[in-house]
Amino acid sequence: MVAQNVFFYLLAGIILFSAFRVVTSNNVVHAALYLVAVLAAVAAEYVLLAAEFVAATQVLVYIGAIIVLFLFGIMLTRAKLGSDQDLTHPHWALSAATAVVMFGVMGYALVDQFHWTATPLPADTRLVSVDGSNSATVSDSVFTAYLVPFEVVSVLLLAALVGAIVLARKD
Amino acid sequence: MFALDPLFSGTFDGAVFLIVLAKVVIAFALLLVSVLFMIWFERKLHADMSNRLGPNRAGPFGILQTLADGIKFFFKEDLLPDRADKRIFILAPFLSLVPAFLVFSVIPLGGVFTAEKQGIVTVFGRETYVQLADPPIGVLLILACSSIAVYGVMLAGWSSGSKYPLLGSVRATAQMVSYEAALGLSVIAVVMLAGSLSTHDMVMVQAGEGFGGILPRWNLIATGVVPFVIFVIAGTAELNRPPFDLVEAEQELVGGFHTEYSSIRFALFFLAEFMNTVTMSAIIVTLFLGGPAGPTFFGPALMWGPIWFASKLFLFLFMFVWLRATLPRFRYDQLMDLGWKVLIPISLGWMLLLASLNVAGDAGWNTFVVAGAAVLIGLVAYLMLAGAIATSARRREQAELEGSIR
Amino acid sequence: MGQYLPVFMLAVLAILFAAISRVASQLLAPSATTVAKRSPYECGIVPGRETLERFPVRFYLIAMIFIVFDIEIIFLYPWAVIYRNLGAGGLFEVLVFTLSVLVSFVYLLSNGALDWGPAKQSRVLSPMVSADRTTLTTVRRVGLDGRPDGDVNHDEEAA
Repeated sequence: MVAQNVFFYLLAGIILFSAFRVVTSNNVVHAALYLVAVLAAVAAEYVLLAAEFVAATQVLVYIGAIIVLFLFGIMLTRAKLGSDQDLTHPHWALSAATAVVMFGVMGYALVDQFHWTATPLPADTRLVSVDGSNSATVSDSVFTAYLVPFEVVSVLLLAALVGAIVLARKD
Repeated sequence: MFALDPLFSGTFDGAVFLIVLAKVVIAFALLLVSVLFMIWFERKLHADMSNRLGPNRAGPFGILQTLADGIKFFFKEDLLPDRADKRIFILAPFLSLVPAFLVFSVIPLGGVFTAEKQGIVTVFGRETYVQLADPPIGVLLILACSSIAVYGVMLAGWSSGSKYPLLGSVRATAQMVSYEAALGLSVIAVVMLAGSLSTHDMVMVQAGEGFGGILPRWNLIATGVVPFVIFVIAGTAELNRPPFDLVEAEQELVGGFHTEYSSIRFALFFLAEFMNTVTMSAIIVTLFLGGPAGPTFFGPALMWGPIWFASKLFLFLFMFVWLRATLPRFRYDQLMDLGWKVLIPISLGWMLLLASLNVAGDAGWNTFVVAGAAVLIGLVAYLMLAGAIATSARRREQAELEGSIR
Repeated sequence: MGQYLPVFMLAVLAILFAAISRVASQLLAPSATTVAKRSPYECGIVPGRETLERFPVRFYLIAMIFIVFDIEIIFLYPWAVIYRNLGAGGLFEVLVFTLSVLVSFVYLLSNGALDWGPAKQSRVLSPMVSADRTTLTTVRRVGLDGRPDGDVNHDEEAA
């Protein structure tokens, strides 16, 4: 478990550093890549917490699709190479305050729920999951307990696609 | 079903670490050697197919040609273009190469896949699989690696600060992303049969008694060939290999996304490209052709796993070269039409058909009624899609007549 | 987590391999750069303009549509693992899910979001320049453009 703790803090450090660079970097593409680093490190944290399916989803959807969209948007429209400009928004202090408040609220919710107790990791993932794969446990809950959110997601996706087409086509 | 490498179920000590280290080094070396072979094989075979000699100077049959070329790369000047974004320019080859390596870690390379042995071998008193790692989400790891590999291509093109690489990389990204969807959908049929995402389980499922005693129990047959065909096509497109090599269409884009790369940096891209070809063949073999599972004849049973695996792998390496030597390149609109309007709907429909037939079989419903309903639904879906495509074509024609084409 | 140790180690080995070859090449390779060598490759022509600034919005759309399909696929995987246990109920849920994606996909297609090539030419070409000729003979199809007597294409466009 020592190795796990070491890796946890290592990854946490990477996340914090990259997240900081996302907001301070003067090049939009660099900022997007630091965001990729944040997301990848979060995915690695999920693996450490035995939530492998969530980790794979994180990589496939966020890194593999959403940041690709970001980069496309940046590369195809504005970012000329080496065009470092001052990207700091005039109201950055306000945003920072909002972020701190958000962090406080979420941290409070977590502590309120779990009261500083540690939930031990399963020593062997096979013990807690069906067929040795935690995608089976995930699907159990997705298709039973969380059925309504699941179907709502599909409607959300529909709305997203229609929105995309409307935005992209200005006939 | 029993997933997870038994190596890690006991206590983790030095011996386990040494076994892991040995496996990693062997897999690494094996992959590099097979890539060197593949490059030579492609050049030689492609030369034969186009009635040339091909490499024939370095070593017997020119087999050392790749090695010689590789060494030569070390002595070439490495240029960093003036307009390049330096850091990303340096990072991009790594993003291409590392995922190419990682895919290989979940490929089963050998083992005896009988009911008792379960593909387990004993090394120094420890039980393990003849595969580097067997995470429970094996297939998703493969998909994740291919989605990271997109970054190598995209960033290489963008950071070069030159026209052709940028065009090539934008094309490549859109192409890889499009075919990744078809790739992911066609694998679902295999996942349904195995009831697991682990690659070892997938081989186990295909190792049992064959169909009718003659045909092997491969997913190729069990899923009804369609997912296999889609996977091979989408895989070829994902590799940016001919006939899907618009990314480096040399007549229009010089070298595509790596035009500005030279010396060892170019060599890393080149290596990644061929490594992807080898690993993609290995994935096809694992998912659809039973991987290392197969009948054993004489000698130790353990010997036959790698032999089966290598011969199946060779088949697909040959196929990729054959495709390159035979087919002309797609046009970009044909490429996109094939991916989005043909492969994705078909793989989705086929997957749902298989699922409904199996569910109906379990529930004891009348198979013919279910099949009839499925065909009806499929027909309706087809008509909707065809109608949509026709509508779009009509609109565009109208727009062109009015002279307002964008 | 031990399952991922070999994957991690292979990644480290791959990075080391790339980095060491890079260092080796730096030590072995000559370094004599000139401005010409370091300028963007444009087939020997001195680059005059910046690289392209704008691309067709279609590329962006592809990435957007891909997100939707990616999420759909990632939901289908856990279902595919245990779909036999879920039975008819699970199948029905997935069918509904797929239907909603199909509907938006049909909308996309009918709006031409995935059309790339030029619109189909509805114009009838003269037999002199028909596609059959090119597949039947090895004579290259040139048509009658610019010839004094038979300017077929021009006539048809006028008509």
